Amino acid sequence: MTPVLGSISLSLALGISAVSILLFSLFLKSEDYRFYLAGWRAALSVSVLSILATFFLLNELLISNFDIKYVAHYTSLETPTFYKITALWAGQSGSLLFWLFILSVYSLIVLAQYKNSFTKLMPWVSIVLVAVQSFFLILVNFVENPFSPTDADFVVVNGNGLNPLLQNLTMAIHPPTLYLGYVGFTVPFAFAIAALVTKDTGSLWVRSIRRWTLIAWLFQSGGIILGGWWAYQELGWGGYWAWDPVENASFMPWLTGTAFLHSIIIQEKKGMLKTWNMILILLTFTLCIFGTFLTRSGVMSSVHSFAVSNLGPVFLGFIAILLVVCTFLIIIRFPILKSEKQIESFTSRESGFLFNNVIFCVICFAVFWGTIFPVLSEAIRGEKITVGAPFFNQVNVPIGLMLLFLTGVGPLLVWRRTSKEAFIKNFTIPVLTGLVIFVFCFSIGLRNATLISFPLCGFVTMAILIEFQRGIKSRVTRFNESFLGALKMLISKNRSRYGGYIVHLGIMFMFIGFSGNAFDSETEFAIKTGETKEFGGYNFELVNIQTIERPNHIAWIAGLNVWNFHHELVTTLFPEKRVYFYKDPNPDKRQPHSELDIYSTLNKDIYSIFSGVDMEQQIAYLKIMINPLVWWVWFGGYVLIFGTMISLWPAKDSE
Amino acid sequence: MNKKKVTITIIALSFLAFAWIGYITLNPDQENPGMIRFLSLADIQTVNQTERIRLGGLVSPGTILVSEQNLLECKFHLEQGEHTVPVQFIGTRPDLFKDEAEVIVEGIFVDGLFKADQLQTKCASRYEGDLRDESSYKSEAI
Repeated sequence: MTPVLGSISLSLALGISAVSILLFSLFLKSEDYRFYLAGWRAALSVSVLSILATFFLLNELLISNFDIKYVAHYTSLETPTFYKITALWAGQSGSLLFWLFILSVYSLIVLAQYKNSFTKLMPWVSIVLVAVQSFFLILVNFVENPFSPTDADFVVVNGNGLNPLLQNLTMAIHPPTLYLGYVGFTVPFAFAIAALVTKDTGSLWVRSIRRWTLIAWLFQSGGIILGGWWAYQELGWGGYWAWDPVENASFMPWLTGTAFLHSIIIQEKKGMLKTWNMILILLTFTLCIFGTFLTRSGVMSSVHSFAVSNLGPVFLGFIAILLVVCTFLIIIRFPILKSEKQIESFTSRESGFLFNNVIFCVICFAVFWGTIFPVLSEAIRGEKITVGAPFFNQVNVPIGLMLLFLTGVGPLLVWRRTSKEAFIKNFTIPVLTGLVIFVFCFSIGLRNATLISFPLCGFVTMAILIEFQRGIKSRVTRFNESFLGALKMLISKNRSRYGGYIVHLGIMFMFIGFSGNAFDSETEFAIKTGETKEFGGYNFELVNIQTIERPNHIAWIAGLNVWNFHHELVTTLFPEKRVYFYKDPNPDKRQPHSELDIYSTLNKDIYSIFSGVDMEQQIAYLKIMINPLVWWVWFGGYVLIFGTMISLWPAKDSE
Repeated sequence: MNKKKVTITIIALSFLAFAWIGYITLNPDQENPGMIRFLSLADIQTVNQTERIRLGGLVSPGTILVSEQNLLECKFHLEQGEHTVPVQFIGTRPDLFKDEAEVIVEGIFVDGLFKADQLQTKCASRYEGDLRDESSYKSEAI
């Protein structure tokens, strides 16, 4: 029964979305408030119906109704309940419905929160939100319907089950987090379009748009970091970022979104860069749709892509419409987007922000270029080319270092113009710190990019600490507060600013982690039980290989003692080799999987992968990697999330 | 100090950045190139010995030989239509590597032998392919 209800909800939602847009248009024409109210209610129903449909699908997954194709493909009777829920976003049509679900939740909040504010903007904001919803409704109704029945000609007693790679807590959180980010950019996008249409380019809505962008940015950042964490823990190639097309797809809107978050500050404070900000936010949303397209269409082969589908043309059509509408709006509104003030000096904070924007956009372009290059090359020259991580690293390392440098410089610059005295006063200590670290790194023999990145990290840290110290000192003398009290007040009085500095610290920690990448080393060996192999300053002793049968898989577990050269036991690692569905008579349907084990410390990770086993001869095929400083990437991630939350937290004494 | 100067600087910087991206595209690092050509076996004879390339095809049945001295080393023939190429691979073989498996190898082609240091198998289609047929239900507790 419920599958029918699900289908009906989706069809109804699509119909009502058209009605809603019509009603809003009538309101704009007649200015009759009743039309607005009716449109508003219709928009509300679209969201409610979409959310309902998602719960219907969830219900089917939970009761294992294998008459539905989606349920049969992504779950089985043995799938644990928790992963039956996460199967909602494991496949193509389910994840499109999930996109729609999140957008509907956001829409409900916007519709409820601003029902009677921004009266000029709201009809247009609603129209844009409903229009984006209707695009996804068209997809789930006509192209990839999650409720479509199984097409097998036999009764499906059990489903295929969820891929073991996805049966992991991180994998359960990563996609929804990233989706909350991707989809979240729809709200600022809707506001931007509404502002352009209604010519309201003032700064009233800028504050709320900045908040919404920050929320989307928080989830986008969290989603990207979780994705890296998952790859590092599960995929077993020893890294967290491979510049895979789909990773790039999530990174590009993050880059333009970050640029926007910075330059919107100038618009808020100085009324400058209005056109530029519009372009950035429209671009960010378009990149979000482009990212969903890359992930879902199968145009690029990658870990994330699903089978090639017919989604491509529909998505490309939507992107084309977006680009045309946005360009058109910006061109006709160009005259009213004029800056109220001009940049006065290179050494102003304004120009610091501007350079930061240029760099973000350049990185975004480089990533975009590398991502679509294989497609271009094949279309133009007929030559198949794969673009791998070395290309992206080569291009982005120097640009990234410049960005890190600006992270430190930005806060030290003063609005309008930094005087010579202020310049010397602000820069002396950070620059000296950087120099000392540089000399130290040089003397211990560092000669690669880390010779630049470590000193820059020191420079940035010192620049931020000085900002904090200065603020605290002035509060201590002015209000006679204690050090900690002053720190607390400083942050709570300027959440957005000091939260931002904490985010910068997080980024700096992550850069320390990225730098460690330059010292990664790895080896592979076949080892018999009782044997010892030496690598990277450690001895690896294979103690035994245990065989364990678990409910849905069989596992071989290697007991690997890691000794240092002082004959002290550092740790024992237990990497596993698993085979899921090992009783399936068809060997092609069995699913091997390596569950790795990591010994993580502040200065290095020892990473072990059990890639193959020969039980007859008691041989384990192992891959060992020593990855310095990876811990700092995750730590930086936490700091970044923490800082963003501080920025977002509503002020106690809000005006 | 005026707007013009800032504009010019920004344009100059962007130009420099584009030049840099273009430069890396045209002159990749020789030892560790980011851009690798994906060739068909028919074209492989034209490649010079230093260029890293990728090949795709099927593992010819019965050609997999694992070295006795180094368990990580193996040799096999890669076939694509009527063309075959002998491949040497040193490293851990993926689980799904076997006769007639669809594989992608990356490495260099020297004196008629393709020396690969990367070997990927096309992943099992369990989750995208056909649903389990009746025979698979009979085995208990999969």
